[in-house]
Amino acid sequence: MAHKPIESEARDPHVPVTSSISSGENTVWADVTSLLQAASQGLQEGELIHGDNFNLFAAMSALEIMDPKMDSGIVCKYYSVDEAIENGAAPVPLSFDKTIDVQCTIDIMDHLLSCEATWHKGHSLAQTVFSCIYLLRLDRTSSHAILHSYCRLIRATCKAVISVVSDARTHEEEDLFTMTYGLPLNGDGDGKCLSMLNAVEETISRQLRACKAPSSKKRVLEDIEPLQPNLDLEEGYCKALLCRLRFRKHFYHVLMCMRRPQGRGLELARKHIASCLSELECIYKSAEFLRSSACGNCEDGIEDKTTASGCEPIGFDASLNSRLSAPTPPRAIRILNWKKAIEYFKKLLHHLDIICSYSLDPSLEAVLRFVVQFQKPQPDLVARAHLQLLLVQDGKLYGRDPIFAVICRAAALPEVVKNHDIQKNEFVVQLGQLVINLLKILCTNAAWQRRKLGKILQDWRVIYVQLELAFKTEFGEMSSITNEENVCVKLSKHILIWVEEQTYWIASRFLMLGFELELYSPSEYCMVYWYIYVVLIKLAEKHHLKMVMSNDTGKRKGKKKRDSPKDVARDYQIPPAVLFLQCHISLAEGLTMLLAALRNENRVFQSLGPFNTEHEIFIQHFELLQQACIPDHISYLSFKDTTAYAQFSTLVMYNYFKDALRLAKELRSSFSNDPDRMAELRKIEQVAEHNGIALNVICRVGALDPSLKVSFEFNHHPYFATAVVRRS
Amino acid sequence: MAMEHDAEKSFIHVESSEGSNPNGSNPVTKVRMLLFRRMLVGVSDGRFFLGSFHCMDKQGNIILQDTVEYRSTRRSSPSPMEQRCLGLILIPFSCRTSCHVDCSIEEQLSLLSLPG
Repeated sequence: MAHKPIESEARDPHVPVTSSISSGENTVWADVTSLLQAASQGLQEGELIHGDNFNLFAAMSALEIMDPKMDSGIVCKYYSVDEAIENGAAPVPLSFDKTIDVQCTIDIMDHLLSCEATWHKGHSLAQTVFSCIYLLRLDRTSSHAILHSYCRLIRATCKAVISVVSDARTHEEEDLFTMTYGLPLNGDGDGKCLSMLNAVEETISRQLRACKAPSSKKRVLEDIEPLQPNLDLEEGYCKALLCRLRFRKHFYHVLMCMRRPQGRGLELARKHIASCLSELECIYKSAEFLRSSACGNCEDGIEDKTTASGCEPIGFDASLNSRLSAPTPPRAIRILNWKKAIEYFKKLLHHLDIICSYSLDPSLEAVLRFVVQFQKPQPDLVARAHLQLLLVQDGKLYGRDPIFAVICRAAALPEVVKNHDIQKNEFVVQLGQLVINLLKILCTNAAWQRRKLGKILQDWRVIYVQLELAFKTEFGEMSSITNEENVCVKLSKHILIWVEEQTYWIASRFLMLGFELELYSPSEYCMVYWYIYVVLIKLAEKHHLKMVMSNDTGKRKGKKKRDSPKDVARDYQIPPAVLFLQCHISLAEGLTMLLAALRNENRVFQSLGPFNTEHEIFIQHFELLQQACIPDHISYLSFKDTTAYAQFSTLVMYNYFKDALRLAKELRSSFSNDPDRMAELRKIEQVAEHNGIALNVICRVGALDPSLKVSFEFNHHPYFATAVVRRS
Repeated sequence: MAMEHDAEKSFIHVESSEGSNPNGSNPVTKVRMLLFRRMLVGVSDGRFFLGSFHCMDKQGNIILQDTVEYRSTRRSSPSPMEQRCLGLILIPFSCRTSCHVDCSIEEQLSLLSLPG
C-alpha cells in the first residue's frame, strides 16, 4: 500500500503535519489508520492492546479529549487571543462614535469591577479579570487614554492583592486565588499608572466643568474638546467616568498605604477608604442615567447584569484563557452581578476600615479579643490577609514589639524583665513561634482555623513541659536568695501559668467554633457544653492565679502603712475579667444540666445512633483535647458522673441561669467602656433569662408531660443555645 | 476484572494463531509492536496530539502517554503552533481524524502491508 500524503488522508484540511511536527532523524510519519482498523476487527469484544505495565485502574484517570469537562483545549470560537483580536473582538477605539465609545468604556469598567469581586471571592484570575482581551494585550490600548490608564491600574491592583494574599499565605484555603498561570501581570511602567490616571481625571474634570458652565463662559473654555458630542449627556457621562476612575485610584492607594510597615499608613488608608466608599455611592447612583441612555434593548433581567447600564460589555472572552487555567478545564463560573459586586467592595472596605482603626494595642489579650471580634461577621479573604500582615511582620507584633516582650506583658510580668537573657533559650524561642503561629491561624476562615487550633493543642501542651524543665535547669542552680533569683522564679512561674491559660483559651475557641460551623447535633450539645464548662473553669482558674500572682508581687513592693489582714481582705475583689468568664461558666453548666435532665427524664437528646455509642462520639469530638490532656483527669466517665443524676427537681434549686443573669447585670458597670463586652453581656443576660424561664415552665408543667416539646436555638447568642418550650 | 481475564484468554488465543503464522503479519500483533512508540493523532477540531502509544481497544479508542497537544493559533494555515503538555489522555475513535506513527522507511512498508 503506497504512502499517501497526509493532507488528503485527513477529513478536514489541516496544517501539513510533517512540516510542523517533526518525526525524528531518518524517520517518517507512517499512516497507520487502516492497520488500526484491521486490528480492531481482529480483537475480541473487551480485548485491549496494551503493554506489560498497563494498569486499567490508572488508565481510567486519562483525560478524555473532546469531553468539555476534561479537555480544556477544545477549539471553539477563536483559536487564540490574537485571532480573536484580528476578528475584531476587542476593537480600539471601541467605537468611532464617541458617545458609544464612552458608553462601552464604562461598561468595561463595570464588568471588570464585577470580575474583580468574583475573583476575590475565590475564582481564578484567568476566568475573571483576565477574561478581558484588553488586559491580555494592554499595549494595544495606549491610544485610548481612559481605557489604558484604567486597565493599567487594575492590573497593578490585582498584582498588589496577590502579593498580600501570598505573603499572608492564607490562600491555602482557597485554591485558585493566587494562581496566575502566566497571565501578563507584570507591566513596565505600571508605577506610572497613577500619574496617567490623574492626567485623564484632570481632563475629564475640565470637560465636566466646561459643560456645566453657562454659555457665556463657554467661549473661554472652547479649547476643551468635549468627552463626547451629545451635549445633554455630557454631564452624566463625565460624572460616571470620574467616580469610576477615582474609585480605582483610591482603592489602589488603600492597598499601598496598608502595606506600609508597622501600620504607619493606616490613618491615610482610612481617608482613602472613605473616598472609595463615597465614589462607590456615585457609581451606584450613576446606574439610572446609564440605563436610560443605553443603546439597544438592555432591559431584560437587569438584576443579573454585570454593568450599570445593563448592556453586555465588549472585549471579554473567558474561553481564550481556559488553557491557562489548569490541565483540566475550570468549572463554569458566574460573574457576580454589578450590584452584588458593589456590595462586596463596600463590605471589604468596611472590614479594612476596622483594621485601619485598630489602636495597635500592645497587650496580647486585647489583640486576641480584637481578632475574635473581627472574625464575627465572617470577613472575606482579602480583609483577613491584610489583618494578618498587620499583626505579624518580621516575627514581631505589628513589626514593632518583639515577641518575648509581648509574652512577658501577657504573663503580667514587669516591663524590666523583657530584656532578660532567658529569651535566647530555645524553648522560649519556640514559644514565641507558637504565639506568632497562633495569631496567623486566628486570621484564617472558621473551618481552617478550627482544624489548625485543634492541631496546635498538643504543641502548647508540650512546650509547657519543655519550659518547666528548661526553667529548672537554668534557674535551679541558684542557691542563694538574691534579687536575681527572685526575678527568675517570678519569670518562670508567670510564664508557665500564662502558657496554661493560653492553652485553655485555644481549647475554648476550638470548642466554640464547632457551634459556628454547625458540627454538633443537638444530641451532642450536652457533652459539648460540659466540656466547655470544664475548660472554662480551668481558664478562669489560671487567669485568676496569674492576676493574683502579679497583685502579690505588686503589693509586696508597695507595702507601706496599712496592711492589716482585714484591709487586704476587704480590698480584694475578684477581677471583672474572671467574673466575665464565670458568666460563661454558669451558662455552660446550666445548659449541660438542663440537657442532661431532659435526657434522663424525658429521654430526649440522646445519642442513640446505630453506628456509634455515646462514648465513641465523645472520643471523636474531643480526641485532640484528650490526647493533649486538656484538662487533665477528664474523661467520658467524668462526664457521665456529672450528668447521670441530673433531675429537674434539683435544677430548680441550683439555678445556674439565675447566677449567670445576676453576674452579667453586676458586670455592666465594670465594662461600660468596652462596647464589645457590653454586647456580649447583654447576649448572656438574654440567654440566661430565657433559659431560666424555660426551666421554670418545664418544672411547672411537669417534665414528663408528653405535649411538651423542647428545642434549642441560637437566636440570642452564637454558641449558647436558648431552650424553646412548646406545647403541642 | 472480568474484562482483563477475558483479554488474557483471547491473548492466548491470538498467540496460538500467531504460532501458526510465523510472519507475525496478524494486524493485532503488528499494532502490539507499535506500543510505546511515538504516535501522532489528529482530532476533528484541528488539534494534534503527540504521545507514546499506550493502549487501544476494539472500538478504536486510543490512550497516549506523556502527550503534547499541538494547535495552530489561527484558523487559516500556515500559522505558528502552540503546544502544551497533557500527560495521559484518551482519544475517542469518534473524534479521531488521522493517526501516524514515527518509524523508519523500511519499517513503514512492512507495517502497512496487510495480510491478503
